[in-house]
Amino acid sequence: MAEAIATTPLPTLEPFKGVKKVPLGEYFTSGHRTCQGCESALVMRLMVKAAGPRTIVLGSTGCMYVANTTYYSTSWVVPWMHTQLGSSGSAGLGTAAALRALMRKGKLPTEPINVIAFCGDGGGADMGLSAISAALTHTEYNFLILLYDNESYANTDIQLSGLTPYGAHTTFSPPGTAKRILHQRWKKNVAGMLAAGHPSCRYVATVCASYAVEMMNRVRKALSIGGPTFIHSLDPCPKGWDYDPMLSHELGELAVECGIWPLYEVEDHKLKLYGRTKGIAQGRSKRRPVRDYLVRQGRFAHFTDDDIDYFQAKVDEMWERWIIPGVIPFASEITNGRSPD
Amino acid sequence: MATHSVEVVYRGIFQKTLAKNITRGIVLAAVKQGKIGIAFGRYGDSPERNGIPAKNFAIVADNEEELQASMAQYEPKSVDLTVALDDTLCKGVESWAWYGLQPINRLTRPGGYLLVTTMLDFADLLQMAHAREQPYHLALVRGLPSFSGLWVYKDDHTDVRVLGAVSRLLPDLVSLEAVEAAIRQEWKSEQKVASARKAYERVEVMAVAPGVGDRRRPYEFELPRWWELREGVTIPAIVPGEAFPDPTTGAVGGWRPARNPYFKKFSTRTMRPVIDFEACIKCTLCWLQCPDSCFDVTPDGYYDANMEACCGCGVCEAVCPVDNCITMVNEAAFTNNDSQWAAWKRDREAYRAWVREKIQHRPERSHGFQQRGQYERQIREMAAAAVGGPAVRERTGG
Repeated sequence: MAEAIATTPLPTLEPFKGVKKVPLGEYFTSGHRTCQGCESALVMRLMVKAAGPRTIVLGSTGCMYVANTTYYSTSWVVPWMHTQLGSSGSAGLGTAAALRALMRKGKLPTEPINVIAFCGDGGGADMGLSAISAALTHTEYNFLILLYDNESYANTDIQLSGLTPYGAHTTFSPPGTAKRILHQRWKKNVAGMLAAGHPSCRYVATVCASYAVEMMNRVRKALSIGGPTFIHSLDPCPKGWDYDPMLSHELGELAVECGIWPLYEVEDHKLKLYGRTKGIAQGRSKRRPVRDYLVRQGRFAHFTDDDIDYFQAKVDEMWERWIIPGVIPFASEITNGRSPD
Repeated sequence: MATHSVEVVYRGIFQKTLAKNITRGIVLAAVKQGKIGIAFGRYGDSPERNGIPAKNFAIVADNEEELQASMAQYEPKSVDLTVALDDTLCKGVESWAWYGLQPINRLTRPGGYLLVTTMLDFADLLQMAHAREQPYHLALVRGLPSFSGLWVYKDDHTDVRVLGAVSRLLPDLVSLEAVEAAIRQEWKSEQKVASARKAYERVEVMAVAPGVGDRRRPYEFELPRWWELREGVTIPAIVPGEAFPDPTTGAVGGWRPARNPYFKKFSTRTMRPVIDFEACIKCTLCWLQCPDSCFDVTPDGYYDANMEACCGCGVCEAVCPVDNCITMVNEAAFTNNDSQWAAWKRDREAYRAWVREKIQHRPERSHGFQQRGQYERQIREMAAAAVGGPAVRERTGG
């Protein structure tokens, strides 16, 4: 008889020490109907490669559900189930709870099984935010929620979401003669919000698949640390961002190098910037101008120089005025022993 | 039969606006002649994905009753004209709405037309297009296939050039005058009218006899009915994959992932990577960054792009640190999906020559938006080189 277990056992997942150490096995494979150069498909592939074969994946509605599992066809090697658009948090939590119950009752051997629920920016940052927030407070279950963010509702042909950047052309915000910039709101800061708002959550990170090994190591850490965890990935989308698919990798790098997408992790309440972002914060490398990023995408083709300057000013503000660049968007009167600016 | 139907087969997203302009233009021109029509996209192709083939239709009839009779269907069973907006679509089409490979001329009625925008010759296209039992006509509009994206449209006049050619091939459907009137109404551009007229004059046509073309059978398979599915409507996952033997030494190693058997994705390709294994430094980046897991890891540690799975995005070329190790080459330059690595293992000398020959066909990267101002520059270059673009006034005299 199995003994009662408080939580399911955790896997030991050491970080991959370089590209040569990345395992050859694929658990998300060819034959999905995504766009050419789809970075979100790459995120799926790397995410589950990092997790390994003892993994259950739950996918909320979006490109990564519809394009990967058309009728009687799949590209998943690991068990995968679809869940509704706003319910990746509930599905991840429920699956982890079910595994714990089955192991407690002795119906499954007690072993580490990874649970990953993914959602897009629409399903995660708009509709599913409350479910994700609730799930991150359930510390007795182990699962990862991965938000793949292509900055629009890309599956239904590019509608605006809460994570669509300022001024981008979408079907909801076409530039016109009367109004050049229809989308005037700034992108939400989801990872920062969830890290700050859920003190019992042990791991929150931002990643970009252009830095594949670093991304996979963040996934491995999230799955092995215990409790509910969250990762936010920025995925260039050739369809909605309107660029030549071969630029996918480069645009991910540019988003980081321009400082638009800071890479950081909050592990047990300790914030660490990593990769190129760390270099920028420490002054070892300069931020590239956001123009380099914007002029390569058709969704910003209507931007004037003033619009680009405004975008640059907002990104500068994030780096120069926020208490933690890219993470916490306010200055503070309480210094807690830190030196005031 | 006074109802005409035209299908426009195009590359998803890249040619979405172009295909819409063409089918819409056909109907607008038909209306100028007192007919009635409708242009629509095939439901099952939506949501479109970059490069994955999709279809638009234009149905034109003499009166509303006839149009209604042809409307209550997902797609016409046969069309008078098939337009392929990219020449590599002639290899066959595997769209969202279909499992298996459809020949490009599958719906073209006997004696009907297949119109291709291309710089290739008839012989090249007939090597790609599947052979059929009935005769049909192959027609060409000269020009580089036009690619843009979802938001920014590359107006290189391909839309009106196709419209001009349509009025030449199917005068009973729309006259050139009606096409010109529709262009004036829709685009208000005399230059576009001139381009349509030029295409009308220059369209090239050839009769294709039965049995001419690619005689290989396009692959197909039976899908289970929904009531034949397992409990909970679950479907089996893909198996993990396996190591495989080296054809020369027999040593087993590397890794070949198993792949979804029901969707090959290769008809999405307009270019394919040609790999010079002798330049390869085994850095892993192509394999690591490929969104389609299309690289087999060979027993001797190279990365072999599997041509059944590759959709030709070009990320591997972009991330490869070595000059000319991976080169994207026009898909039209190939006739099979054989393993490049196996060919290299068989005969290195022959493979070297093959790589040299293939990378001559480096295509112009008309694969979407790369940089602001790029389309304007490309259109100028196309017009100057007479490979499409706006009609330029012919030079007269010295």
